[in-house]
Amino acid sequence: MTLEHTTRVQEHIGDPVSAGAPVERAKLEQIFQDIQSDLRFDHMLNGCLNCGICTATCPSAQYYDYSPREIVQLLWTENLEGIYDAMQEKIWACAQCYTCAARCPFGNSPGGLVMLMREAAIKHGMESAKNVLRPFSRVMLKLISTGNQLSPDMISKDAFPDWGPNISKVSAPLETLRKAIPVPTLHTTKTAWEVNLKTSVELYTIWEETGVINSLKAIDPNLFDVIRDIMDDKRDELSEWQEEQAQD
Amino acid sequence: MKSDETMPAERFTGHGSEWQNSRLAPQDAQVATAWVEQVINRRSMLTGKDRVADVRDAMWQLEKDGEIVVHRISEEHKPVVVRTLYGWQKKIPTVRLWHHKSCGQCGNIPGYPASLLWLMNRLGVEYLDETDQTSCTAWNYHGSGIGNIESLAAVFLRNFHQAYVAARAQGLPDGYYYPLVHCGTSFGNYKEVRGYLLQSAKLRERVRQILAKLGRLVDGKLLIPEEIVHYSEWLHVMRDEVKKLQTVDCSRIRATIHPACHVYKMVPEDVIYDDKVLDGNRVAVSTGLMQTLGAQVIDYQTWYDCCGFGFRHIISEREFTRSFAIDRKIRVAVEQAHADVMIGHDTGCITTLDKNQWISKADGRPVSLPVLADCQFAALVCGAHPYKIVQSHWHASPTEELMDKLGIDWRARKAEFEEYLQEVAAGRPENLYDPRRKITSGPGFTPRVQPAGQAG
Repeated sequence: MTLEHTTRVQEHIGDPVSAGAPVERAKLEQIFQDIQSDLRFDHMLNGCLNCGICTATCPSAQYYDYSPREIVQLLWTENLEGIYDAMQEKIWACAQCYTCAARCPFGNSPGGLVMLMREAAIKHGMESAKNVLRPFSRVMLKLISTGNQLSPDMISKDAFPDWGPNISKVSAPLETLRKAIPVPTLHTTKTAWEVNLKTSVELYTIWEETGVINSLKAIDPNLFDVIRDIMDDKRDELSEWQEEQAQD
Repeated sequence: MKSDETMPAERFTGHGSEWQNSRLAPQDAQVATAWVEQVINRRSMLTGKDRVADVRDAMWQLEKDGEIVVHRISEEHKPVVVRTLYGWQKKIPTVRLWHHKSCGQCGNIPGYPASLLWLMNRLGVEYLDETDQTSCTAWNYHGSGIGNIESLAAVFLRNFHQAYVAARAQGLPDGYYYPLVHCGTSFGNYKEVRGYLLQSAKLRERVRQILAKLGRLVDGKLLIPEEIVHYSEWLHVMRDEVKKLQTVDCSRIRATIHPACHVYKMVPEDVIYDDKVLDGNRVAVSTGLMQTLGAQVIDYQTWYDCCGFGFRHIISEREFTRSFAIDRKIRVAVEQAHADVMIGHDTGCITTLDKNQWISKADGRPVSLPVLADCQFAALVCGAHPYKIVQSHWHASPTEELMDKLGIDWRARKAEFEEYLQEVAAGRPENLYDPRRKITSGPGFTPRVQPAGQAG
């Protein structure tokens, strides 16, 4: 194997064997600017001596072509091409355990920096983000429309065949099993707990005001449409209730 | 040193295809890495670095400057003071608690919150569990990247504001209840977000505008909690009281503890350490409880590792999650520590470690170990019903083996539960508190003063 120096990241961004057009410098700068301008950036990146303790302790580094040290180095050296390259796949390998952050002698947070890069990947509608997040759409639908991230009806033997036959050791309809939980807020199947309608609608304002809804539109327009409809319906429902209260 | 011509200087790669095995003999490999274990097994791994500032100092200053209002832990919350990483003091409220639930626990491990509420009922702790709260949204954020610092901060402040005003529904003053966070992911996220809020005027102003639209300000100011408190911290300071309820001997049980990453690796300066709990070299929660209950806490080599949850990996790259959970956690606990149970204190960890065992049969090296949350184990040895309260039927791991070792006749209790399901189906479920308390405003709320007495 030869170890000759190449300029692959500059010539063939994201895929060294493809003949795809390089990404424009202005776009690379904009992506880096988006990452760097987050108020957390300066708290998460203080310097790096390449000691590698982050990678030595990283669970994902044991299974993927991923290294938190590499992420820190790319950002520290402002290697725009390398940053873009890492955003194609590597950043999605991170398990977000923050072991790297706990161990870094400089107080860096490679896991936190990965989150800033993921946010930027979504903001720029990168194909990698779309592909990686497709299986996550059900969770996003649940979260954005209800305020809950997970619900009992998402856990089934069909959805998680590798969890084996003991997902529930008592055979009974899900509705009955849920009502047998002695916590009244948990007698639900479509949300983890009963969420007040007023609460969900408040959350919609947060999604809109913070640009989350627009991020979703960039990454999954179909899911965005579905969620928009749900939000409109629930807002109408709450308005009707408020009008009824006013009449009473 | 090699010349520039021969060095792969521009190659930024991790442990991927270019990684090469050192081919060290096992004994040599152990010698080469022994120093690492000596360091990581010490609390000094965290305290040896430059100390961070205590954000609570900034919090009190901002309140003094009239920028924020602090939701205080008052004497009425009967706080217990504990020591954190650097020896700082942290107040843990023990009564009048507002339960901030975990979506993963409620959806998937419902015996987790049920056991906690059951223990509170037994200890006479007043609390409120209500519908006006959202998830912290951090699981989705860490998994998908959908969200940002402003959305995380706004959700945090909205939920904690609701905790502050919730008692109005019962004719009680603001601040009566103090929020108790169930989920480790929420706990880490909220602590991190609180830090950024206290350090960034720009973020505060942006979020203040959003909270104003929601009517979630106090005197026009942001409400910041004095402490962010995890349920495992409440359980830790209540462990001697829990011990008084114990009816089942667990002295023969060998327990391994899985400390949750987002509980103690995020904002580590806020985590409880106690020199009497494994010499202060491990986070004190869960371990301290298990020791107090009389179980044998067994250390194991990979205690520091995460569980493999990965936030998005458990959904879409499960081969990573299950490989890590089996090989780095469960197998080590079984083969090295000869554990009878693995105890955790976080949602994702319990789910990952509990559910990802059966698949180990696939490579011909099956391994299994009961997995429970600390409060579930505590409830179990205090006589809670293993199915009605601990809800052990939602666990895929062999919790029955643990119950056998504890002398609990799970077959009889399971039969009781299956019979009880007929009552439930007929609309006669038993609850830990009056269901009318769960709605405090909006649709479904009956505007009346509800009894504020002891729950359940």
